[in-house]
Amino acid sequence: MFAHVLATEFLKLRRSKVTWLSLVALSLGQLGMALMMWIVRDPGRATQLGLLGTKANLSGLTATWPAYSGVLTLLVGMGGMLLLPFLVAYLFGREYTDGTAKNLLALPVGRHQFALAKLAVAAVWWAALVVVVVAEAFALGLLLGLPDFSMALAVQAVRNALVAAAVAYLLAPAVAWIALLGRGYMLPLGFALAMLALGQVFSKTGWAAWFPWSIIPLWIGSVGQPAAALAPASLAVVAVTFLAGVAAVIAQLRFADNAQ
Amino acid sequence: MNPRAAIATRALSKRYRDVLAVDALGLNVRCGEIYGFLGRNGAGKTTTIRMLLGLIRPTSGDVELLGKPVQPGTTGVFAHVGYLVESATAYPNLTVRENLDIQRRLTRAPRASVTKAIDLMRLGPHADRRAGVLSLGNKQRLSLARALLNKPELLILDEPANALDPSGIVEVRELLRSLAREHGVTVFMSSHILAEVAHLADRIGIVHEGRLLEELDREELHARERLYVEVGASDPERAATLLAAAGFAHVERTDGRLRVFDAEERVPEIARLLVGSGLDVTNLAQVHEDLEAHFLRITGGAE
Repeated sequence: MFAHVLATEFLKLRRSKVTWLSLVALSLGQLGMALMMWIVRDPGRATQLGLLGTKANLSGLTATWPAYSGVLTLLVGMGGMLLLPFLVAYLFGREYTDGTAKNLLALPVGRHQFALAKLAVAAVWWAALVVVVVAEAFALGLLLGLPDFSMALAVQAVRNALVAAAVAYLLAPAVAWIALLGRGYMLPLGFALAMLALGQVFSKTGWAAWFPWSIIPLWIGSVGQPAAALAPASLAVVAVTFLAGVAAVIAQLRFADNAQ
Repeated sequence: MNPRAAIATRALSKRYRDVLAVDALGLNVRCGEIYGFLGRNGAGKTTTIRMLLGLIRPTSGDVELLGKPVQPGTTGVFAHVGYLVESATAYPNLTVRENLDIQRRLTRAPRASVTKAIDLMRLGPHADRRAGVLSLGNKQRLSLARALLNKPELLILDEPANALDPSGIVEVRELLRSLAREHGVTVFMSSHILAEVAHLADRIGIVHEGRLLEELDREELHARERLYVEVGASDPERAATLLAAAGFAHVERTDGRLRVFDAEERVPEIARLLVGSGLDVTNLAQVHEDLEAHFLRITGGAE
């Protein structure tokens, strides 16, 4: 039966504009990063381009593969903290804004199956987005002819991006729970923005490794140098957040009143 | 609870903070009957239907559908239940056919059921259109098609005639009648179109402020219909006195008019009496109090 539930969730995703918009948003983000590298590589061209060039120069970037791979991790991490919550809020919240949640809750299908299928769909789509953006990053990097490329660096860049993507995904069920709680998109989007801000604040404190939404900023280096490895405590915190999120989503569907 | 009941509730209540939306509701809907669930806005109809479907948890009391207890998370019995709650909704980016195919997969209905449901609800011309661009009436048809897809033994429909045009209303009425009479499907329907319920239902439950005020079967309903003579006169008070003195035992005053009961054979006598006493008679008509009037009377009138 789960295969049927999964198939229906994929059909809904395939027909949705949000799916393709998320792909466009992340791809454009990567294109923007590559454009910045292109400008930074040639300061003369940056001056000719005015404000954009000034901003690119101010970022203190160097046009090398090590810097470019750091930008890729940053993009995937920020995408994981903003775009992925948006996708998850959409997957869960749209059933309430479209008024279709009630059609799912009195069926010969356990409600937990909808929760798990939606989370599986989010995982697959997020993984696809990350694969596309990583491939795009490498294609554009090679096209730009950036210096200092090595296979070891490429492997490291992919690993860093995948870790950022995985941590972001493990935080996603909490957003799904907020979407069910708020019966729509707005509350989970507000929650994601609040966690993004709190994550930045906590990442500068001694609690950074313990606050789930600080772990990505630490990893991608959005508030300092990127961490070389995730602390065991952070891994445990992220795992617990994931399990608690999944349990909360299932419990919310199973036990809470679902009036629209 | 009655083991043969399609729907049975015992002391079913739902409280939202200080509002008691449903108050100790006891329903017994027999298998194969069409049960009309009547109530004004806010009477507790939709809250009751949500509890029947396990969408919300009762504050107290129990629900059984087709002899099986229902609570949030119940699954098995819903293989045999079709429903439509509140407004008609569908996935706007999916076509009519795709929306129904989702329901087919989730209810394990055969593939052919989608086309059958489309034909049954006359949605053929719209089958490959996105649900988001359908008219309200066609969205309602799509929701009814969804409810019927798995050939349910029990249909729970909240305002099934909503948004349908007059011919659509007749069509759905005939469809529900045929499902009940020819296929033994039990239909539980709420409606604010009282005449519609009177035409269709075998039994009617009237709910008001969360309480079931009255349950009537078709015969009882007809017995409650009252025939009276409505009288408008220049001096209603004097007219009432004259009628009472002439032996009209049951005279009611409403809005400056008189209702004279058990008088349908004596209309000419009323006219002669009042005119002969020097009163101007502005209205004299036989009135058949139907379900609507009965409903308004027992739920406290139109507000």
